[in-house]
Amino acid sequence: MHYPIGLLFDLLASSSALPWNITVHFKSFPEKDLLHCPSKDVIEAHFMSCVKEADALKHKSQVINEMQKKDHKQLWMGLQNDRFDQFWAINRKLMEYPAEENGFRYIPFRIYQTTTERPFIQKLFRPVAPDGQLHTLGDLLKEVCPSAVAPEDGEKKNQVMIHGIEPMLETPLQWLSEHLSYPDNFLHISIIPQPTD
Amino acid sequence: MEEDEFFGEKTFQHDCAEFIKHSQQIGDGWEWRTSKDSSDGYMCKTHLQIKSGTTVSHLGTSALVQTCLPMEEALEPPLDDFELTETATATEVIKYEYHVLYSCSYQVPVLYFRASFLDGRPLTLKDIWEGVHECYRMRLLQGPWDTITQQEHPILGQPFFVLHPCKTNEFMTPVVKNSRKINRNVNYITSWLSIVGPAVGLNVPLSYAGAASQDE
Repeated sequence: MHYPIGLLFDLLASSSALPWNITVHFKSFPEKDLLHCPSKDVIEAHFMSCVKEADALKHKSQVINEMQKKDHKQLWMGLQNDRFDQFWAINRKLMEYPAEENGFRYIPFRIYQTTTERPFIQKLFRPVAPDGQLHTLGDLLKEVCPSAVAPEDGEKKNQVMIHGIEPMLETPLQWLSEHLSYPDNFLHISIIPQPTD
Repeated sequence: MEEDEFFGEKTFQHDCAEFIKHSQQIGDGWEWRTSKDSSDGYMCKTHLQIKSGTTVSHLGTSALVQTCLPMEEALEPPLDDFELTETATATEVIKYEYHVLYSCSYQVPVLYFRASFLDGRPLTLKDIWEGVHECYRMRLLQGPWDTITQQEHPILGQPFFVLHPCKTNEFMTPVVKNSRKINRNVNYITSWLSIVGPAVGLNVPLSYAGAASQDE
């Protein structure tokens, strides 16, 4: 699928040594499993579609809709041409929230596991509890993917990975969303079996 | 608990259930499917279509639905159910699948669809549009929705075409607001599907409207 390459690595090959050797096929395109990618425009459309969906969750689409087409273009071009400052000039607006709130409306996230039929878990989840406490990564997992978290006294069965690292479960989700999201503004989280070595 | 939900997931499931009830009454083929590992689900319908443009409903009922045909083809005599099965060959029969899922990000329903020949070969978007009448094609191009793109089905994980949901709220809000003003219950799914369905070859018989306003 159109998944970020880092996510694919975490999910499928995190124990592999770098460089990651992959096999490229030129025949027998698996129509039933993969999306076609005929041009760069398709990738841009997919990327912008993810950014828009993330903003629908964070800001009811207000921030992305207030932007002009040229801002959307700058976001994409910044990513495509690896221009950090150009990208963040626009992206920082997507990371803001009203002063009176303690965070976004909902956190854009997707949790991936190779063991399930469903491609990913995505649900509505607020970064702040009604009492004002910031929800953590652990809170999120307990709520939407309880099988991923080991019981208090049990053995750790899984690794919870974002960008190749295992953030502490006590990390506030709002912070993760602002600092560890992918360029599409989503937190792509992989749950993989704990390596046995 | 969500207090400010315009169209929440519970309402979605309720409206789909009502929609399916009526579908069962008229043999329109819609059914509900739940995902194996969670409580959420979606509504789906499969129908077969001969390339010439005459549609037979999946359950083979006597309700033969004619899609709009270009003038020349309209002169052919309509085929009834029995004739259809005799003249259809594998390469000319197309299987259309329509799935209605709930988007929690946009809090609206989303239409996923795909089409393939019986041997599994998928149709491209261009192929699908060739089966859609000109008038609906124009509406699709001018309509208040972004685009049709190919995306991963959130529950099945396979490629489907999707009518992007970001503008759905925009055109559904007046429908819902108006129905509340005149104190008449409207089934969101019925109204929404009757607007977006025809643009992608999905027909929604008029009798749904009667059923929707009889709720409660």
